[in-house]
Amino acid sequence: MTSLVITVTETLRYRGAIGQWSWVLHRLSGLGVVLFLVLHVVDTSWAVFWPELYEEAIATYQSPLFTIGEFGLVAAVVYHAINGLRIVFFDYKPHLWRYQARAAKVVAVVTLIILAPVFLLMFGHVLDFYNSAPQVLPLTEVLRAQLVFLPGFIAAIVAALILSGLHGLISGGDGATGAVDPQGSRSERFWWSFMRVSSLLILPLVFGHLAVMHVLQGVFDITAQGHDVVGTGLINESGTAVEFVARRWNLLVGGVAVWRVYDFALLALVVAHGFNGLRYVLTDYTSHSPFLRRASVYLCMLGALTLLVLGVGALLGTIDETAVEMGVEAMERLHAGS
Amino acid sequence: MDISFRIRRYNPEAGRPKPYWQEFALNDVEPTQRVLELLHRVKWEQDGTLAFRRSCSSGICGSDAMRINGRNALACKLLARDVGPKIQVEPILGLRVIKDLIVDMEPFLAHYRQVLPWFVNDGPLPADGRERLQTQEDKDLVTDSTNCILCAACTTSCPSFWANGEYVGPAAIVQAHRFLFDTRDTGDDARLEALGAPDGVWRCRTIFNCTPACPRGIEVTRAIGEVKLAVRKGATAGIIDPATIKQQH
Repeated sequence: MTSLVITVTETLRYRGAIGQWSWVLHRLSGLGVVLFLVLHVVDTSWAVFWPELYEEAIATYQSPLFTIGEFGLVAAVVYHAINGLRIVFFDYKPHLWRYQARAAKVVAVVTLIILAPVFLLMFGHVLDFYNSAPQVLPLTEVLRAQLVFLPGFIAAIVAALILSGLHGLISGGDGATGAVDPQGSRSERFWWSFMRVSSLLILPLVFGHLAVMHVLQGVFDITAQGHDVVGTGLINESGTAVEFVARRWNLLVGGVAVWRVYDFALLALVVAHGFNGLRYVLTDYTSHSPFLRRASVYLCMLGALTLLVLGVGALLGTIDETAVEMGVEAMERLHAGS
Repeated sequence: MDISFRIRRYNPEAGRPKPYWQEFALNDVEPTQRVLELLHRVKWEQDGTLAFRRSCSSGICGSDAMRINGRNALACKLLARDVGPKIQVEPILGLRVIKDLIVDMEPFLAHYRQVLPWFVNDGPLPADGRERLQTQEDKDLVTDSTNCILCAACTTSCPSFWANGEYVGPAAIVQAHRFLFDTRDTGDDARLEALGAPDGVWRCRTIFNCTPACPRGIEVTRAIGEVKLAVRKGATAGIIDPATIKQQH
């Protein structure tokens, strides 16, 4: 904890140049995106496993709190993606380092150029939604719906601490992870390359995902009855979020469920990239304690595993008529309740 | 010019267990005087208990690295006129403060030793039994990294090092660079092993604080980048393009 506090306060006090601030923004935006990723993958898996809860989740996404968060999320993803390109470029061309400060400014400008029209379109969806006299969940309901994640987070942290303790007992206790060992060297080398290669693959996938789900249509259109289901040419007849997902995932192009394949690629890459990034951040600030450092690694492994199991499970699952009916009922309850 | 000097003090033996700021006023300072000379004036004229390291006073020995007005530098290379009438001096960060501006350099030097910073070649001596000669082009590959004076200004400007003292740090990586890319040296494997560890080069997040902190103008972040590539591909993979090496004077 002290190492985190010192880094934060001294980063504010040290007169570093623009590269330092790029690093701060890269970390914060990455952490923000990983947090949302957890909520989003778990919520989306409910479309298959627990349709009623999925309707509620989408209703919370349509609340003002999440609308503000959505703008922040899109900004974070765009900045992280563009600055990531800058990092990758100078990793492979270190002799051009003199241009890194200029590149950091270019990153900021490009981010703003991308965000300006995107925010305008997103704001258009927000206006359309509120002009249609919508029923919006009250803030207390929105927060209560997120509260269910808290036990999950706590359970993951406790499990990580227990695993780290067991690991320590078995390996004899000391086993500082910073020690020189060839195994560690090989895996760090792999992850370093993975972060860079995966970022280039994620970039088109995540920009496509954001364009389809947040810009071309809004989160509000997921539950618009009679509205197109973006990317399918089909109509959401019941106006439930469950039917929206069913229409997308059940669409076959040449016998292939293209959106399931797309979402699987995005899920696998983003989960691996995101949780390895989280591991970098957590292990940076826990070097003083082998116990906490191992726990950080276990926490990231548990988080990634959970999201992959839920996400892949949902992508392999079926959403049938009964699920849509459950969605309709849940929606009626939500509307009656608010 | 008159200078107001703010110095971070720490002297637990004198009954002050916590660090504190102390201000000193200096009159008739020549704009061309160096911050080190101003520290001398404080010590000699106002407070003999002020403690700091210095040896050559000429930017060669690397003992007076400190954080001056928020950025790491050598006190003996910064002129009063370049720092302004308000000067704030504090110890470099990430190493334990022993007294005032003096820090414990041992963890820093331990990282330095970790990269085997000496010439390794067990092969037979050249025919004349004397020097292992190299071409000017080969020498140019490492000229920049030979300039390092181990002052720790780069390593202690690095947020990764502040957070994690196990990180080998920029200076040790520059020193490794000097031998990795020395065409006569054969110790690459052991060095790359140490540098490729979880707290080796990979903790560098290309924040670029280290490069402007170097009082010798070494392209520190570039050297770290080249060492990262060497860990992946081997140091003999033609990582440094000779055409991109800056001219040394």
